[in-house]
Amino acid sequence: MKRILTIACCGIMLLLSRQCCAKVYIDIASPFATRLAIAIPNFRNTGQQADTAGVLTKMPAVIADDLNLSGFFRILNVSAVADDSASSGITASTIKWENWSMIGAEALVTGGISLSGSELVAELRLFDAVQRQLIVGKRYFGTLQDSRLIAHKFSNEILKNLTGEESIYETKIAFEIGSRGKKEIAVADFDGSRMETITSYNSLSLSPAWSPDGKKIAFTSYKDGNPSLYVKDLATGRTELVSHKKGVNITPAWSHDGKKIALTLSLNNGNSEIYIMDVNSRALERLTDDWATDVSPTWSPDDTQVAFVSSRSGTPQIYVLDIATKRVRRITMEGGYNTSPDWSPKGNRVVYAGQQGSVFNIFVVSTDGTLFQQLTHNQGSNERPSWSPDGRFIAFSSNRTGKKEVYIMRADGSGQKKITSGSGEKTAPAWSPFLR
Amino acid sequence: MKRCVQVMCLLMLVCIFIFPAGCTKKAVKKDTGLEGAGIEEAKRPGEEGLEEAQTGGPEWQEPTAEMALYFKDIYFQYDQFNLTPEAKETLNKLGEWLLKNGSVQVLIEGHCDERGTDEYNLALGERRAHSAKKYLTQLGIDGDRISTISYGEERPVDPGHNEAAWSKNRRCHFLYR
Repeated sequence: MKRILTIACCGIMLLLSRQCCAKVYIDIASPFATRLAIAIPNFRNTGQQADTAGVLTKMPAVIADDLNLSGFFRILNVSAVADDSASSGITASTIKWENWSMIGAEALVTGGISLSGSELVAELRLFDAVQRQLIVGKRYFGTLQDSRLIAHKFSNEILKNLTGEESIYETKIAFEIGSRGKKEIAVADFDGSRMETITSYNSLSLSPAWSPDGKKIAFTSYKDGNPSLYVKDLATGRTELVSHKKGVNITPAWSHDGKKIALTLSLNNGNSEIYIMDVNSRALERLTDDWATDVSPTWSPDDTQVAFVSSRSGTPQIYVLDIATKRVRRITMEGGYNTSPDWSPKGNRVVYAGQQGSVFNIFVVSTDGTLFQQLTHNQGSNERPSWSPDGRFIAFSSNRTGKKEVYIMRADGSGQKKITSGSGEKTAPAWSPFLR
Repeated sequence: MKRCVQVMCLLMLVCIFIFPAGCTKKAVKKDTGLEGAGIEEAKRPGEEGLEEAQTGGPEWQEPTAEMALYFKDIYFQYDQFNLTPEAKETLNKLGEWLLKNGSVQVLIEGHCDERGTDEYNLALGERRAHSAKKYLTQLGIDGDRISTISYGEERPVDPGHNEAAWSKNRRCHFLYR
């Protein structure tokens, strides 16, 4: 994050005149759409320097993983035509189209990589393999280290051109990493790569929450004794103390307009309530007033309501509070311990962790009560769900391998995939907003 | 008529003793975590406030071998923050000692077992610590001598994943300075 990307993000449209803008290849609203058959052969070395880092195979593999995750594609096995690739070009006029028709490709990704020292130029193209024409082409300038990011950027281009919508391939996920009573906050790409810790307090640092512009992360830390709330500016590295009340200063959630942070504070009798803090003035507005434990607020997309956890019925359940009227209603009716709500950035769905026997599973409920769906089943304990900014994916933590790691899945529970590894337990994932 | 009044009085007494707060509030659904409902007084808005945290001062210390007789952990039921009779007995001893040693300050750590979820447990740990604090102040200890901190489920004393471990982890732990 500290490193300034040398990628010239203004990727150049290679053949504007032939770009196909109007056609929607993938209708993301249609659940029964067939998957688009796409071929992503190894990239070609278009320069003089040998590819000792293996980017010619790694970059298409990253794109294939990205497209697989979306659920919209069938990635074709290209080994049958791979041998021939040396004689087949990467541009519309030089591609041997019959090779790709033969394996049923509807779309084709080609890449040309030119290396010079650690500098890298990538020319990436997406073709309609049936019409045999370019859909989008981009040229990226960067270093070898950026090759993964460049692949993600082009995955975004592919999705944007085929579905018309922004996708998640340049987003990040923040989470807690730690063991033995100590935790730091870490940030990684949405697929778990390029992880870096953003705190090093050798203390307990918990519950990261992104600002809506993706430039700051709020979190709770015990670094000065009390569990207080801090905000770290990711660009400058500066960390600011924003709430230092007696008791807990926990579970921050940034409003979508960026002006407020909802959080949990405890009164001087230990009872925790939901407050809204004005980010500039630090003024507090109290939202809940109940003997019970109230915790873990999350904002509705229009910032007029918050969902939160309350034990006011005797056990923790999810409630929705209207900020103007302070009127509260319960939205979880199943189960005896439902916590960790996260309100979808797209619409009225709230994802949460609900206890079943000795484990937790991830559920989605709509705030009008019309939808109730269990997303994880029989695979360890699954907690702390967090929506992706496009509302199509959910990150969560699971101990299904015996150790807590961060996973991502599609919003219907399919495609569950572990994204973290290495030492330490990873918990409390928070998916970033779009970062560009 | 007289009998009727007697019954009414009896009912009111029962109400006052068994449901100190529950009576004035609407009925609470019987769930496993109900017990807390009868313990906490209902407060009017604004009656309980927020205070800025004080940090700094001498480091909190684990009790010495001699003090350990009085500074014993107290334990809680799952998802509960009310004090058990055993916990009160332990606190009675601690309270007695604190009355005799008026210069000692206490930090009450509230802890939870791993079964709940971590954010909710941070809030629950704070309530456990305050249950102990409230009891000690009722014994005559000045509230200013008692600090609280919640660690939720982040610092288990027993790392096991069974009831034996969990019951040890649902605790308040006491430090001094």
